[in-house]
Amino acid sequence: MTWEWFWPEGFYALAMIACFAFGAFALKLPIAVAMSASAVVGALLAGFGIPVRHLVEGMFGYLDTILIIACAMIFMKTVQDIGLTEAVASWGIRKFRRQPLLLSIGVMFLIMLPGMLTGSSTAACLTTGALVAPILLKLGVPKAQTGSAIALGAIYGMIAPPVDIPVMIIGGGIDMPYVGFALPLLFATVPLALLVALIFIYPWLRRRGAVDEAGLEAELARMERAPLTFRLFLPFAALIVLMGGEQLFPELFPSLGMPLQFLIASACAIFSGQKWNPLDSAVRAMNDALPVLGILMGVGMFVQVMTLNGVRGFVSVSALDIPPWLLYVSIGVSIPLFGAISSFGAASVLGVPFILALLDRDQILVGTALALIAGLGDLMPPTALAGIFAAQVVEEKNYFRILVKCVVPAIVTVLWGVAIIAWSGKLAPFLTR
Amino acid sequence: MTLIYRGIVGLILLLVLRCLFDEKNFWKQVTAALVVIPLALRLLMLK
Amino acid sequence: MNMNFKFNPQGTKATALCLLICALGVAWLANRDFAAMRTLDALIPASGFEEHLLSEWFAPLRDTLLDTPVYVQSGEEPGGSVLVLGGTHPNEPAGYMTAILMVERAQVSRGKLYVIPFANRAGFAHTQPQEASPESMSFTLPDGSTRVFRYGSRDILHTLTWPNPDIYIHKASGQRLSGNEARNLNRAYPGVADGTPTERLAWAIMEFLRKEKIDLAFDLHEASPEYPVVDAIVAHERSIELAAAAAMELKGRGIEIRLEPSPKNFRGLSHREWGDASDTLPILMEVANPSQGRLRGRTDETLVLEGRDKAYMKAAALGRLFVPWDESGKPLAMRTARHLTAVVTFLSMMEFFVDESKAIEIDGLPEYQQLVDDGIGKWLHQN
Repeated sequence: MTWEWFWPEGFYALAMIACFAFGAFALKLPIAVAMSASAVVGALLAGFGIPVRHLVEGMFGYLDTILIIACAMIFMKTVQDIGLTEAVASWGIRKFRRQPLLLSIGVMFLIMLPGMLTGSSTAACLTTGALVAPILLKLGVPKAQTGSAIALGAIYGMIAPPVDIPVMIIGGGIDMPYVGFALPLLFATVPLALLVALIFIYPWLRRRGAVDEAGLEAELARMERAPLTFRLFLPFAALIVLMGGEQLFPELFPSLGMPLQFLIASACAIFSGQKWNPLDSAVRAMNDALPVLGILMGVGMFVQVMTLNGVRGFVSVSALDIPPWLLYVSIGVSIPLFGAISSFGAASVLGVPFILALLDRDQILVGTALALIAGLGDLMPPTALAGIFAAQVVEEKNYFRILVKCVVPAIVTVLWGVAIIAWSGKLAPFLTR
Repeated sequence: MTLIYRGIVGLILLLVLRCLFDEKNFWKQVTAALVVIPLALRLLMLK
Repeated sequence: MNMNFKFNPQGTKATALCLLICALGVAWLANRDFAAMRTLDALIPASGFEEHLLSEWFAPLRDTLLDTPVYVQSGEEPGGSVLVLGGTHPNEPAGYMTAILMVERAQVSRGKLYVIPFANRAGFAHTQPQEASPESMSFTLPDGSTRVFRYGSRDILHTLTWPNPDIYIHKASGQRLSGNEARNLNRAYPGVADGTPTERLAWAIMEFLRKEKIDLAFDLHEASPEYPVVDAIVAHERSIELAAAAAMELKGRGIEIRLEPSPKNFRGLSHREWGDASDTLPILMEVANPSQGRLRGRTDETLVLEGRDKAYMKAAALGRLFVPWDESGKPLAMRTARHLTAVVTFLSMMEFFVDESKAIEIDGLPEYQQLVDDGIGKWLHQN
């Protein structure tokens, strides 16, 4: 890298990262605040003053996303509060406990589900992740393994269809519709999720005798306070009908949008026969969602400012400035590293230039693979949303213990993603139309 | 549909405000205040 | 060094109120910029132009942000009719600056000229989040005064089209695209009379083409230098012969331009639907605009006007671009000159490649090199 290329954009990039790191680690500010501050610093250094219009406009890049996350969180709290998630989990444990393989896989699917529906690994960690954590711990799975399974499952859920925000971000950059991704995204995520279930959950569930039977039975009985009936299942059924209907028959179903779908499904809880306080659920949902919403606002400002001051072009062209044989290495290293700022940001800033550099490959498969690798950004400290929230739900104070366990699966994930790009020509006939 | 979505933004904004005023940690209040900005502008259909 | 220092004041109702006031203050400050974008730039038409509104051809647009000026000038002699549409994407300024120069300078001697400089008028009323676009660009006139024009967004104003669907379905064909394309005028043709704002605007333009029996119609765009379709003409199968002749002629004058046939299976675009749903000969043209590209460096008015960018220099050296690139970049005056010269070249071909009775003659416009040398400001009228 020459000095002419580095100065001043490279300096702005380093200064913005340093400002973020100082705010987040030394001052222990919330990530949203540290991110906003570094955006302001980036603008000041480049001589734009405090560009209020740009900062506010940057936030609007994620307006629809925060509405989706907020409404999804309300839905999740509601189905938890009426006892639906616990009833489903205990039904699953009773039914499949003697089949540890099925249970491992079922638990993994349950962790992924909220991520699949909301496109947010945080939603997955804090909802079904929080739900399965005590069960796995009770069944003898150690903390670190439980936390890692939840963090990775949440990320694979975020990347799995029907909702995959990184792929939408990458596709938006090259005028590629979010159509035809369901199969490729399942191909990218399901084998990895199964692998994680087999190495982090299955070996411990298979060991018999290690389980505290009485404690487990008490826990299951507590979880069954609301019997699992169709009425109780109604909110989930409504969501499946609304979302599935729009995905499968867009000509017949009204296009309500995810926020409204989540709210309608939540409202169906009125018919569940359970008593709960909707306002209280909604306020708690918002409390859990706010740090993530704030981070997205911070990232929005950060992206707008790095576009303004040229850091975006500097980063994307630098990532392309490598010999062709190193392109895969650059993809595998730079995208997860950039995820330290945000996995969505990595998808936008690096995902798009990389897919442009790979225009001769199948676009859907390349987009899928880049999104998968971008998802790993949620394991990259300091933000490491999936790692932090997974540590919270297993009550592990040091989230690095979780992250260390995730290193090997993360490398496997990168290799899987790179393999999908490398063999996109061979895979395309099977996975895309 | 636009009206319904304005309603949703209004609802989320009220919940954020409630969290803002109930929060005891100043920096988390700042986070909530950040989220208020785009929600308020969209509620009034200014951006 | 002790890194455990924490600035962590207690949060109270009072701090909450202060923060709320701050947040609303920031929103108010930003909104002054947002609100200022909603007025339309004034043009100073050349003599002979009549000013109309698109709603005269499709009444439901009246009194909405979708309605937009239409400038009409008839020559002394009868001839063909031509539409120049600029501002389909208001972040592609060479397209609408070409249309603006025609409104301010054109003198029609034969045939009839229609210009819609701000086709997506509602796209001029905002800028795109996370693109950090400047809101305007200014041109210095020979007397030292300036004229300012907006730089907008590719999308129809978001508040008009919100909530946006997750998937956009093009109604005439069932084609599915990602939701953001629901706000793209150039994916909405032939439009729907009672559809979304985007579809209604597209319908209004189709109605205009049909009712005025436009013979030749241009949709002027710009594209990222790293995008494959750039410095190009895209032509419908009915207009491809004319386009091939024009491309040859331009090449003869040293202006390299690619010729792409309009794909039959990619629906909703002007070069496809104008030709299918009306008798007009549609032509879409693209020039390379670094200020809308993804690899660009510092994004500001200078980049829009001068088109020089170190990130694109490097990307060009890495072989990532679809257009030649050097130190001089792609100045807006040069991009506009390309469009203007191409339009004039097409017009000169009409009587030979379409029909003698369809001839169109327009004077008063700058030559390619004149516009490149003088800059755009020299050819605008004084306020």
